[in-house]
Amino acid sequence: MKKLFLAGAALVAGAAMAPAMAQDVVLNVATAGSENMVDYVIDYLGPMFEETHPGVRVNVVGTGPGDAGSQAIFEKLSAQSAAGAAAWDIDVAVVHQKMGGNLVREGLLASYRDQVETGALVTSAAADNALGTDVSGYVIPMFHSQTAIAYNPLLVADAPATYADLVEWTTAHPRQFGYNGIKGGMSGVSFYMGWLYAMTDDAGQMMAGPYDASVAEGWSDALDGLKAFNENVTFTPGNAGTLDMLNRGEIAMGPVWVDMFYTWQADGRLSPDLKLKLIGPGMPGQPMYYVTPAKATNPDLAREFIELATSPQVQAEGIVQRFNWYPGIDASHIEDFMSPDAWAKLFADVTPEDLAANGKTFPIAEFFDLALENYERHVAQ
Amino acid sequence: MRSPSLIGLLLVTPALLLLAALFVYPLGFSLVSAFTVEGAGDGGDRFGLFNFVNAYELYATDIAFTVLIVGLSTALIGIFAVAIGGYLTLGEVGFAVALLRWLYRWPLFIPFIVAAQCMRTFLAKNGLMNNALSAAGLLEPLSAQSFLDWRGIVITFVWKQTPFVALLVAGAMASIDRSTIEAARNLGASRLRALIEIVVPQVHAILVVGLVLSFVTMMSVLSVPMMISGNTPTMMTVDMAFRINAYGDYGTANALGFISYLLTGAVAWIYLRRGVREGPP
Repeated sequence: MKKLFLAGAALVAGAAMAPAMAQDVVLNVATAGSENMVDYVIDYLGPMFEETHPGVRVNVVGTGPGDAGSQAIFEKLSAQSAAGAAAWDIDVAVVHQKMGGNLVREGLLASYRDQVETGALVTSAAADNALGTDVSGYVIPMFHSQTAIAYNPLLVADAPATYADLVEWTTAHPRQFGYNGIKGGMSGVSFYMGWLYAMTDDAGQMMAGPYDASVAEGWSDALDGLKAFNENVTFTPGNAGTLDMLNRGEIAMGPVWVDMFYTWQADGRLSPDLKLKLIGPGMPGQPMYYVTPAKATNPDLAREFIELATSPQVQAEGIVQRFNWYPGIDASHIEDFMSPDAWAKLFADVTPEDLAANGKTFPIAEFFDLALENYERHVAQ
Repeated sequence: MRSPSLIGLLLVTPALLLLAALFVYPLGFSLVSAFTVEGAGDGGDRFGLFNFVNAYELYATDIAFTVLIVGLSTALIGIFAVAIGGYLTLGEVGFAVALLRWLYRWPLFIPFIVAAQCMRTFLAKNGLMNNALSAAGLLEPLSAQSFLDWRGIVITFVWKQTPFVALLVAGAMASIDRSTIEAARNLGASRLRALIEIVVPQVHAILVVGLVLSFVTMMSVLSVPMMISGNTPTMMTVDMAFRINAYGDYGTANALGFISYLLTGAVAWIYLRRGVREGPP
């Protein structure tokens, strides 16, 4: 059944790529993620690359949002590898962090970071470690998205700096902090993972492994604490719900995705007065990765494409100024390419130092599930 | 005799095949999955009640919550549908009847997800409803509270499903013998009494059909609880989606689905028993 599905998926993807064959060279770029990610490559990166590479056409395939989108890329490469194909028809792929690790473990990717100039500009820990898998050399982050606590300075004069401060604050200001639990989107999940990092001694093992289910036995105090904390908070309907409630003044603080926060502010959907704080000891964020398959049809073009996409200029203009994501390469390299205003805006609330100190990764997959299961069993009951 | 029945069989075959492929097979598949633990122990599948134990341990509160929410909504829908149908049948102010007839069907054409999206901003603490009430001087802004919890779900369900039941009930009420109503009114019964004692008993079979269908529909809605209050406690559909999206755990999701079948099956059974006892409406 699964094989049949894979064959079907390959057929559909093949058909989508067929019209491009008429051109001399076609560079196939598959991107997981929401519509805006696909648009980014179609409208911005693709034309820019075609301009400098006459005779090359960039064909973009969006594989869908969330982990399912990355899963589709994995299944296609895995099917072509299993079929023994000499050249696979994805040249560049954009995948989520979790799947980046899986692709490396299955030997489906080419190690390329040393072969592109921009490889030397990468400093983030996520470029070497993908939720427990060593991906060093195989990936360059396209961008980094981060969660942080958004707050309303009119209602919160002195925003809490750590989880412990936050607990104290919510006791003094019941129902003024809002989050979306674990069933309403990833900003709530991220807040919960940060809670476990803060309230247990297992943060390091959760992020890097090795997996051991018995670790959860030591979480009872943290989970009881969260249950008590939940008595003093407002539950919001989803990632967007938290931002809406902040904007209407119904809550004074809540965890949000930084890029979503800035995009909404730029669109006028969120009060410009609201601010962000990345509280200690840290909250998770995640990168998307540029990768190139082990047997890409156009390996050299693929490297050039990624080189362009991770160049300081493109990272500054496209990633930071257009989409409010944090850059995939080290932020210090892009400062020259940004207006002082845009630079100040991106790092006004969350400084590069905050990001380095308090920007964590999500736990490895097994701990991630274990943590969710424990929330359901002990906190939500 | 033989050939007509053969033709009949041929004619019905496509429909039967479609039903088998698109309904019976997936239903059977999800039932089997509810009782299967994948890769248990030695890597093989194993049959058992593990998924149900898991569903009970984690979601017993949510199951009870779902039954209460949907039960309360069904009751309110029944009351409002009868009130609307009753006014359309017994109302004496022609203009008001025409206006109501024109207005009440609108929510029928609005999908659940759109209704939920509207309610999300309408029912919020500083949302449209509370702002309008405080602007009208009816509510102190400080005492405003958010309805984005179980009440929001009930309000959305009632708002969305009442027109459906009212449509059925009003149609049935329009076709009953008006002389029974007029006789009651001539003997001095108030309109309310005529509605409760004369009209409703004559349309109650249709009313029950509408309510059973609404119950089943509301049991299956994901968007409304998800968008209005996806947190503890929440409805079973949210838990099913979460099991699949977060863990890829179809077993427990299907066990919850099976429990939904049982609940809706019980409601349908109550209805069928009544139908058999009293004959067709």
